[in-house]
Amino acid sequence: MHEQTSDLVVGLLVLILGLVGLVMASGALDDAMYVFGLSLAGFAVVFDIGLVKRHFDRQDALRQGGGHV
Amino acid sequence: MSDLAIGTGGMAGVGGRATPAVRVVEAYNMDVVRKFTIAAMFWAVVAFLLGVVLALQLAFPIFNLGFEYTAFGRLRPVHTSAAIFAFGGSALFATSFYVVQRTCHARLFGGEALASFIFWGYQFFIVMAALSYVMGFSQSLEYAEPEWHLDIFLTIVWVAYAVVFIGTLVKRQEPHIYVANWFYLAYILTVAVLHIVNNLALPTSFFEAKSYSVFSGVQGAMIQWWYGHNAVGFFLTAAFLGMMYYFIPKQAGRPVYSYRLSVVHFWSLIFMYIWAGPHHLHYTSLPDWAQTLGMVFSIILWMPSWGGMINGLMTLSGAWDKLRTDPALRFTVTAVGFYGMSTFEGPMMSIKEVNGLAHYTDWVIGHVHSGALGWVAFVSFGAIYYLVPILWNRAGLYSVKLVAWHYWIATLGIVLYITSMWVASIMQGLMWRAYDKFGFLQYSFAESVNAMHPYYVIRMLGGVLFLAGALVMVFNLIMTARSATTLVRPARAGSTEAGAAIAVAGE
Amino acid sequence: MFISHDKIEKSAFLLTVLTVITISIGGIVEVVPLFTIETTVEKVEGVRPYSPLEQAGRDVYVREGCYTCHSQQIRALKDEVERYGHYSLAAESMYDRPFQWGSKRNGPDLARVGGKYSNDWHYAHFSHPQAMVPESLMPRYAFLATREVDVAKVARAIRANRALGAPYSDAQVANVAADMAAQADPQVDAETLQARYPKAVQASGDGRRVTEMDALVAYIQVLGTMVDFTNPAIEKLRQ
Repeated sequence: MHEQTSDLVVGLLVLILGLVGLVMASGALDDAMYVFGLSLAGFAVVFDIGLVKRHFDRQDALRQGGGHV
Repeated sequence: MSDLAIGTGGMAGVGGRATPAVRVVEAYNMDVVRKFTIAAMFWAVVAFLLGVVLALQLAFPIFNLGFEYTAFGRLRPVHTSAAIFAFGGSALFATSFYVVQRTCHARLFGGEALASFIFWGYQFFIVMAALSYVMGFSQSLEYAEPEWHLDIFLTIVWVAYAVVFIGTLVKRQEPHIYVANWFYLAYILTVAVLHIVNNLALPTSFFEAKSYSVFSGVQGAMIQWWYGHNAVGFFLTAAFLGMMYYFIPKQAGRPVYSYRLSVVHFWSLIFMYIWAGPHHLHYTSLPDWAQTLGMVFSIILWMPSWGGMINGLMTLSGAWDKLRTDPALRFTVTAVGFYGMSTFEGPMMSIKEVNGLAHYTDWVIGHVHSGALGWVAFVSFGAIYYLVPILWNRAGLYSVKLVAWHYWIATLGIVLYITSMWVASIMQGLMWRAYDKFGFLQYSFAESVNAMHPYYVIRMLGGVLFLAGALVMVFNLIMTARSATTLVRPARAGSTEAGAAIAVAGE
Repeated sequence: MFISHDKIEKSAFLLTVLTVITISIGGIVEVVPLFTIETTVEKVEGVRPYSPLEQAGRDVYVREGCYTCHSQQIRALKDEVERYGHYSLAAESMYDRPFQWGSKRNGPDLARVGGKYSNDWHYAHFSHPQAMVPESLMPRYAFLATREVDVAKVARAIRANRALGAPYSDAQVANVAADMAAQADPQVDAETLQARYPKAVQASGDGRRVTEMDALVAYIQVLGTMVDFTNPAIEKLRQ
């Protein structure tokens, strides 16, 4: 349960980072900020999808593994 | 002692052999350690390759290509960041996470997502920083070139690192904190302070990747070299000493030579290093009192540094024969030797009169690289050669002979690098101050540049050798991870961690 | 030891706190007095903040990493003073954000390069260094002549520097665009420019647009020229 709460918090914070990135890219005055903002948003999306995947993989495994333990 | 609970299958390592759908969860989080180990080797090759490119450009400026993205001035910070932060940093993350877990008998604090964020966030920072320099965005502060938005992002990752590391120390099962962790902790804390203060800047706009430093002129110079010297002192020295304090005893099978020495060495080193900054500013418009303080402390610093060297080398007493049979240990021990050499050369170069000759010349470059290649890279190679079989559950490395080849090629590379730079720089310094018999300056600046050429070519060859050695290592490690022997270690009796196998699908 | 080391090793908290205290001392002792001791920055006359075009040029210098090969700090050593001119004063870089003293000379020191070469020499040298200095290791920067300076960016730069303490007057801030155009074009009368920015050197632009090359030349040509060393009042130079 501990693990899941901390994972959730990390996921949310990264989501916020991604939104900040989008905002920065939207008003970007130079190329570096534009690239950084979009990349940060992309990073947040990929990372959070990874977290979600890991969560459900863990659930699936527990369900399957339950028979073996 | 093992870090693996018996599960229902083998490890899906690099190269993915016969992966069952189920993966065993380890008592410790070794996944993040593996990731950082791979990253360290990847960035090592990138950093060394960039070094060769820069050396090529200095020997043959045509290779700047006239193109804004490939000019020396933009590529140089890519090389220094790749070497220090991408390669060095990844090696430190890998080993600090490994060492803190093993010595505390506790799994990394904070959960998997946080550890994963630290890894991917750090890699993201590295890539973004490198890209930004090439695109023409830099604060022009050495080893602190990333602009404000990247500095803030790095701070977030670093805070996470501190939380995870300190949290693991707090949840430790061992009452005493092992010496290696003191050094890792000191580096994490100090780098945070250095980074935040030196990078204080006002952005021109929230939407612009451009800022101006809060500090200007002489104060800016002092703060930059307080930062810059301690980036070397803590990031490249104290932290890697932490690595040394774990891996030498492990590889030699001996305890650390002297506990008392490690206590004295630790506190005096971290206290004194901070003061050394002004030796980068001798004879400049930094006030004399600051220059003198910097010089004096830099010279005294020789003692705790050699204390560390002695502690590391003497740990091998009774086990020197291992150097014949364990080439990886050879790397670690040679690293300590280079450490001793660099920490003697440094104090010497900090003496004002010596510095009068050395400053602005290639002696500084030679000194940096004897430390970076001889100490930092070698101790990392030694640790990584030791770690990879453990992390990928193999009985040993693919080829011990290749490690020896790597060792000799790389050492030759270092020798070529530093000797060429010593000769070049002394010549350069002397040419700048040479007077002819009429009392006029004898050489134009351009003539001194011309005189450097053959040495720059030799230095480039040294770098090529060092790179070649690293490629041999990468090959050896990949073959090790792919090799057939898979070792499943028995679970440690009475493990206090959640030792039951929790199978995780996929990955 | 006031606290036994055994106790420190058994407490992550103690170890953390004592480490932070230990590493803070040196920095505080070496940095703080540089702000409080008044003579750190010499009381000489002439040093002024950069004009808009000079600031734009400085921004180019910073982003291209010129500091990786060129220093801007002449040391108080005989041969150096003879080669480059009067040793650098702290006052001369007091508005430099960040400082560009440099730490390596693959090329010569530039602290007092202003006025030593003509504009034409600089334009030619930046485009193809080896044409002017055959032994040079410098990359070619011809592309700077094709890129226009963004005046809005320069205005933001001036405002940021002002916020950090550079003494720009309201008149200077209001006339950023005009001063930049005037300094880039040698055909324009420089009187108002010089009134606002004494010793500003006009670049050799074509009058139609202001390029990064113009900016860089304007910056290079002012380096080391602000303080008058012909009649130095020695007391003023003491730190």
